[in-house]
Amino acid sequence: MIVGERKPLEEIAEMLKVYKKILNVGCGGCTSICLAGGQKEVAQLTRDLEGNFGNQGADVQIHELTIERQCNADFFADLDVMVKDYDAIVSMACGAGVQFVADRYPQTPVFPALNTTFVGFDKDVGWYEENCRTCGDCVLGETAGICPVTRCAKSLFNGPCGGTRADGTCEVDKTIPCAWYEIHKRLKAQGRLDLIHKVRPAREWVNQTRRSVIQEPYKERYTK
Amino acid sequence: MAQFVAFIKGPMVWIAFGVFFAGLIIQGWRFFTMSRKKDPAYIPGTEKKKKKKKKKKSKKTKAKKKKPKTIMDRLQPLIAFADKRWDNLENSMFRIHPLVSVVTIIFHVFLFVIPILLLAHNELFRAAFGFSLPSLSDQTTDMMTIIFLLCGGFFLFRRIFVRRVRAITTWWDFVMLAVTLTPFITGFMAFRQWGDYPTVMLVHMISGELMLILIPFTKLGHMIYFFLYRVLIGSEYSFGQGKRAW
Amino acid sequence: MSTQVNREQIKGMLKAHKPRMKRYLSHCMHCSLCAESCFLYMKNDKDPRYMPSYKVLNSLGKLYRKGGRVDRAFLEDIKEIVWKNCVLCKRCYCPVGVDIPAMIAFARSICRSQGVHPDEEQSWL
Repeated sequence: MIVGERKPLEEIAEMLKVYKKILNVGCGGCTSICLAGGQKEVAQLTRDLEGNFGNQGADVQIHELTIERQCNADFFADLDVMVKDYDAIVSMACGAGVQFVADRYPQTPVFPALNTTFVGFDKDVGWYEENCRTCGDCVLGETAGICPVTRCAKSLFNGPCGGTRADGTCEVDKTIPCAWYEIHKRLKAQGRLDLIHKVRPAREWVNQTRRSVIQEPYKERYTK
Repeated sequence: MAQFVAFIKGPMVWIAFGVFFAGLIIQGWRFFTMSRKKDPAYIPGTEKKKKKKKKKKSKKTKAKKKKPKTIMDRLQPLIAFADKRWDNLENSMFRIHPLVSVVTIIFHVFLFVIPILLLAHNELFRAAFGFSLPSLSDQTTDMMTIIFLLCGGFFLFRRIFVRRVRAITTWWDFVMLAVTLTPFITGFMAFRQWGDYPTVMLVHMISGELMLILIPFTKLGHMIYFFLYRVLIGSEYSFGQGKRAW
Repeated sequence: MSTQVNREQIKGMLKAHKPRMKRYLSHCMHCSLCAESCFLYMKNDKDPRYMPSYKVLNSLGKLYRKGGRVDRAFLEDIKEIVWKNCVLCKRCYCPVGVDIPAMIAFARSICRSQGVHPDEEQSWL
């Protein structure tokens, strides 16, 4: 899922300081699950901002609403009605949600409360780790489910680099295992070690430009 | 009838406590067999090196610790600690449901303290075992019982008149509340000699024994499960680190 | 579509998770303190049907009370509860420590095992 973390309070307060009536919108999707932008975090941010603005003697009203997701038009019925009463929106969704809201209400300034950090998994309560960089050309089938982009410090596709330490850790970052060592171990355990010899050509890093996806069964709907 | 009363006063007390303690132990044991210790996060190859680093750091900090500490320096960690505790309190149930939070704490504390520190119970305990816990005065436990019953009344009120509680209330909730409150009501009545004393005492004993027997097997089991779930199982709301999982 | 469901399969699933799920259902104190932690409850004018405890007691709770002796219509009813009224954001608070999301997820898997799940037109997910 998408993981984010809240921006420093000073940065958020700086963005919002000229507005008098602010709507703080949370998201019940990824940012709620990663404990960054759910209802509870919306309440916390409101308290923090009120404290911050209060200290500066500013008279600001901040109201709250959390919706299921901010990246799908189906969930905006409540927000559509409320938005006209506010000077600004601060969104605790990921970057996708913030932009969706901004596109939907172009007259109202929309500000991000989070920095969207990565796509990853839950390691433990409150602890998330990146394991996908949405490169757009997934090779996990050949690397026994270990992503060489995120888990190799050099993002090598035909690794290892030769710098693997004796204990199996990475020469660049000794807190992580060498991804290609792990790939080798797992392919061997699965009896698929022949894949380790496959040479992958230089890739086209497609995640540097804006992308769009229409799932195959739905393509017909959007072609004229 | 006399035989029945003798049974309730005698063997049934032992049976009730036996079921209570055995039940709780079995429930605790079942919890530990059903759950497992979480594997600690694995960072390969770093543990030994981390230890070496710690030793180096401590040498360095010892060398630097020559600056005199001001009062503010000493107070700073305390302020941070108090700040964090206040923040936790602000974010907790006390803020959203202050009345329910306070009432439930008083209710649960008195639920334990009244029977354990009651003079009459301790005299029975002394007669059976030759020693007892210290007792509170009858005046004190009498007052505590009144407060306890008011708390129980608050829960009953909530169950009947608060819409959101009513929406999930079943007849069993009323039974459980009755089972919990009856020993205290009858004990209060017996102390003040209200009603037919032998009957009141009989109901007191039966309801107390019933409550003890039901604790391990019903929602009253939250007596231990509250701690098992909220301290041991890791979650956003766990107290402490929560090193167990299912 | 058949109105029959595989009751033996449902019973098997219920039995496999019984120790944990029955304990959770039993230890629910019916206190309603979980309500405010659910943003859907807050968003829907504090409708008690969105309380996490309500959702669980009326989906998995009913499944266990009926011992798995249910039909497709019943599963279609609880489909609304466990998919439409819950996004499984896992932020529900319970003072006792009951794991409400686990029960919703389990109820979903029972529905799915019988082919009951939101279809394309139901964008509840």
